[in-house]
Amino acid sequence: MYRQGDVLILPVPEEAVPQSVRGLPPSPRDGRGRMVLALGEATGHAHALAGPGTLLRTPDPLVPDHLHLPSGGRLVHEEHAAITLPKGWYRVIRQREYVPGSVRVVAD
Amino acid sequence: MLTETVRETHYVVGDWQAAAFATGPADRARAEAGVAAAYASAGLRPPERYLWVPSPARGAAVAAVIAGHGEALEKAGLDVLLEQARADLGDGEAGPSVLTDVRTRPWEAERAAACSEQGPEQWPRTWAETGGLLWGQVQALVTRVRGAIGEQAQGRPGRAGNRRPSPEEDAAGALLRAATLDAVLGQHDGPWLALFESLGRLDGPLAGLAEVARSAGWWWPYERLAILSERPGELYRDEPGRLHRGDGPALGYPDGFALHAWRGMPIPPDFVASLTGLTPDRISSEQNAELRRVMLEIFGYDRYLAETGARPLHRDETGVLWSIELPGDEPVVMVEVVNSTPEPDGTHRTYYLRVPPDTRTARAGVAWTFGVDEADYHPEKQT
Repeated sequence: MYRQGDVLILPVPEEAVPQSVRGLPPSPRDGRGRMVLALGEATGHAHALAGPGTLLRTPDPLVPDHLHLPSGGRLVHEEHAAITLPKGWYRVIRQREYVPGSVRVVAD
Repeated sequence: MLTETVRETHYVVGDWQAAAFATGPADRARAEAGVAAAYASAGLRPPERYLWVPSPARGAAVAAVIAGHGEALEKAGLDVLLEQARADLGDGEAGPSVLTDVRTRPWEAERAAACSEQGPEQWPRTWAETGGLLWGQVQALVTRVRGAIGEQAQGRPGRAGNRRPSPEEDAAGALLRAATLDAVLGQHDGPWLALFESLGRLDGPLAGLAEVARSAGWWWPYERLAILSERPGELYRDEPGRLHRGDGPALGYPDGFALHAWRGMPIPPDFVASLTGLTPDRISSEQNAELRRVMLEIFGYDRYLAETGARPLHRDETGVLWSIELPGDEPVVMVEVVNSTPEPDGTHRTYYLRVPPDTRTARAGVAWTFGVDEADYHPEKQT
């Protein structure tokens, strides 16, 4: 389990990744060819990885994003130290905040 | 090959996001050419007259008058609004609305064709990667603008609860809101236009609509007249994309039609300015829970906790758990979290996240923010 600011990266065994997620087309990379796990819209600061791998997102916002790193990777962000991730499958969880009546997602 | 298509989608979505939140004067020539093209592809002659209005609110008032609701606006005492709308409209005939021909029908045809071409599995994915990325933020804005247009019928917009609107004001508000449903949303049609463009479907019957969307705000198509609105002059949003500004309107059009909001929550225009000299007592005595939340954020959770002598509920290596008791409301329970990466000056930034009121430990609070169990929350590395 790794935390970079408001993003939690949770290692999961490959068999725990739903088949419906594995069949998804990879999420598009950004203009610099990176997988962007979460983007701060105003600052443009991003939790991002370059290198081989796939980020899988379902249309359903309640299903968490999954990340596959066949040879590991390095998660970077403008304001946080980089984190080296071993190869494997991960669930990507965005931090949220309690709001009476609803829940909102945090963006840094 | 795949990379190329993917990059294109990325840029397409970015461009329509930029168009949806664009501010500044409309490109009138380009917008009018787009309107004419949309009419032409619907088999109609272009409108005889283009009427430019400074805001969708002014456009909705004119549309309400065209729909024959002038008297209802008058009964609600909206004399200024009505006079303005009649002056805007002038003597020329508008003719019947051609919204169905110009927007609804070609739009639905294109959507149905795209949907059946994609199939039931791919269609929601395509939407999720294009329009779906923009829908929430744009639609939230559209809903707020519609609401504010209706609120013009009340004496003082923005401050609900001061005075109950009269039945006449309610009726006029409903008519003004209804007039917004007769509009093409121009720049705010961006989410769907992103989807259509990503599928190569903007060159056909939707080309004119797309051209207006790149150049102007909301617009109302009639047989002989097109009413076009300017785009906002100012727009301020926070990181998650919600309307947010402390020292002025978060959304403002050239005629002064404006929305005030703090992190998406509607606030009265003078609200933030009225908070100078704010005290914890004043915060806890505010009756409106949403306004109280805004007051707390502006005052600062840390300062509130310090000034009220609050004591932490719990503390462990994940952070500190705090609680603020509020009369007649659930307590505000927060975890104070420390960023592990130091700032350039060597200090560590702390931030507060509100967690459910029944949270008992700091670890449980932080774990909740990530949706994992307290017992499972043990990051081996954090930065």
